[in-house]
Amino acid sequence: MSRENAARILPLLQRYQVLAGMLVLLAFAGLQSPSLFYSSENLHNIFNQLAIPGILAVGMTFVILTGGIDLSVGSHIAFLNCVAATWLKAESSLLVSSAYTLALGAGIGALLGWIIGVTKLQPFVVTLAAMVSLQGISFIYTKNQFVSGIGPYLEPLKASLFGIPLSGLLLVAVMTAGVVLLGKGVLGRRIYAVGGNEEAARFSGVPVARTKIAAYALNGVCVAIAALLLTARTDSGQQSPGAKYELDAIAAVVVGGSSLLGGRGNVLGSVIGALFILSTDNLFNLNLIDDKIALAVKGGILLLAVYLQNLGRQR
Amino acid sequence: MKDVCKAVGIFAIGMVFWGCGNKTETGEAQVATGAEKPLVLFAQANSQDPWRQVFDADIKDAAKKYADKFEFQEQDAQDDPAKQISLIENFMVKKPKVLLISPVKDSVQSAVEKAHAAGIPVILLDRSVPGEGWDAYVGGDNTEIGRQAGAFMGQKLNGKGTVLMIQGIAGAAPTHDRAAGFMEAMKSFPSITVIEGDDCGYQRAKARTYMETFLQSHKPFDAVYAHNDEMAIGAYLAMEAAKAPKKTIVGIDACQREVVQMIKDGKIAATFKYPQPGPKAVEMAADLLAGKKLEKRTLLPTEKVTMETADAYLAANPNLAK
Repeated sequence: MSRENAARILPLLQRYQVLAGMLVLLAFAGLQSPSLFYSSENLHNIFNQLAIPGILAVGMTFVILTGGIDLSVGSHIAFLNCVAATWLKAESSLLVSSAYTLALGAGIGALLGWIIGVTKLQPFVVTLAAMVSLQGISFIYTKNQFVSGIGPYLEPLKASLFGIPLSGLLLVAVMTAGVVLLGKGVLGRRIYAVGGNEEAARFSGVPVARTKIAAYALNGVCVAIAALLLTARTDSGQQSPGAKYELDAIAAVVVGGSSLLGGRGNVLGSVIGALFILSTDNLFNLNLIDDKIALAVKGGILLLAVYLQNLGRQR
Repeated sequence: MKDVCKAVGIFAIGMVFWGCGNKTETGEAQVATGAEKPLVLFAQANSQDPWRQVFDADIKDAAKKYADKFEFQEQDAQDDPAKQISLIENFMVKKPKVLLISPVKDSVQSAVEKAHAAGIPVILLDRSVPGEGWDAYVGGDNTEIGRQAGAFMGQKLNGKGTVLMIQGIAGAAPTHDRAAGFMEAMKSFPSITVIEGDDCGYQRAKARTYMETFLQSHKPFDAVYAHNDEMAIGAYLAMEAAKAPKKTIVGIDACQREVVQMIKDGKIAATFKYPQPGPKAVEMAADLLAGKKLEKRTLLPTEKVTMETADAYLAANPNLAK
């Protein structure tokens, strides 16, 4: 093939890699186990299960677009999970508990953004420190006790609307908000500018620190929404979830075509990235394949995604 | 140059899909062969610690005996409740005839109840969940194990002395029960003092660090009661390195060759088996499929391993972890 054609196809492939991957996966599932994968029960499960990783991936996209990273998401969601469960157990209404959790999430995010934006410490180190601290704070907050018995307040979050799980609809809402925010507003342009070239952004008058604070705060809000869904899903609050939520979120964003260097990527890709990862897990579960193989394959997919993103950009 | 890059890129994509394709095809083959036989699925909490590894080996061995009656498959939730809930939901799509679950935490209760309500018989292994939304439970009795360990310790110390208790995970049910049973037995030995030591998370390394520090405090003690063998070994290693005088050490679990060997060598006094629920659970699943009714709760007995019984114990338990 000619050089010209290659130059034209490569960016296209890079832009839509996750969509292409997803379509192939869906087609594959259709050939391989249609009656299981495409059963209404399973699609319902996937839509419901996607909510937490999907919303976390949206939040992580804001951060990664600024050229940052947030390693504290796992501890952060665990802490907010404990907070929400504790408030609900104390019989606060869903509205009050949710509002408090969301405000706390935004606050913690904003604080991280402030440290990163103002002191210019590396996001990796700042959020690593937050990961450790938030874990400790969760244990202190709950006095080392598992929080259970939180009453029926979260039932509304578990409901379905016309057969579609509310959690999935919440994800669609968060995703739409993310798309609009990044595509239409001043903040979106600033986030891309800061991630693309921080120096240039500063010289052209973009308030870099404030933009970073906003990006991390938005991520905090997403973590809080996910924490509420997690609380509804487990009916409890626990200090240390086994899942590596931050790594899954970063993986979804990268598979979704965003660059870890910042400035390139979008929310939609990240959600499809999360869907891609979840569907892979789901297919492995349905086919009863050892989950260690699933882990290894997921790593390979991640590596391939990053490789594709870098193709033609390193010169 | 770009052409080369692109070729490599496309090749790599192809590789991944080829790889996925291959893997899933083997999966399909498994499903196809098991299609006629009833399916028994097991949602394991985790497959990481030594006790769980023996658990996995035992339950797979036991399931092989029933290979003509049902197909058995297991997946683990890596100790994450949310992941186990998803796993149970995904399992339900497969319409198993019996679902075995070793719950990560109480918080998977809703998923357990959902499966039970959908008409799938649910057998819980090792840990229970609140409520009645399940069919049967099989597991060990930690309070009884604690009691027996306490009685053994009391006799070994001739009714007087100081015992340092190294604890598991704060707030976890096994930790609570293993401590409570032990303290209950200690009531018969009023001259024995128990020092409630730190939580070392059932981990060898943490127990070792804790014991190193404790030895520095120069508080006198005569024996160590650890909530599991890993911590008993950690405590022993710390004392050995510090050349501290020998103490009576008692652990729990008896699932590793290493600890049985240490008992034979006289380094550790005894351990009490935390029974593996796997084989019994598989038997219960077979009973269910044969139309029999199950007991709601089955408690498995413990077993004391000392220098005298170590060899017999090794012979009777071939699946012990290294």
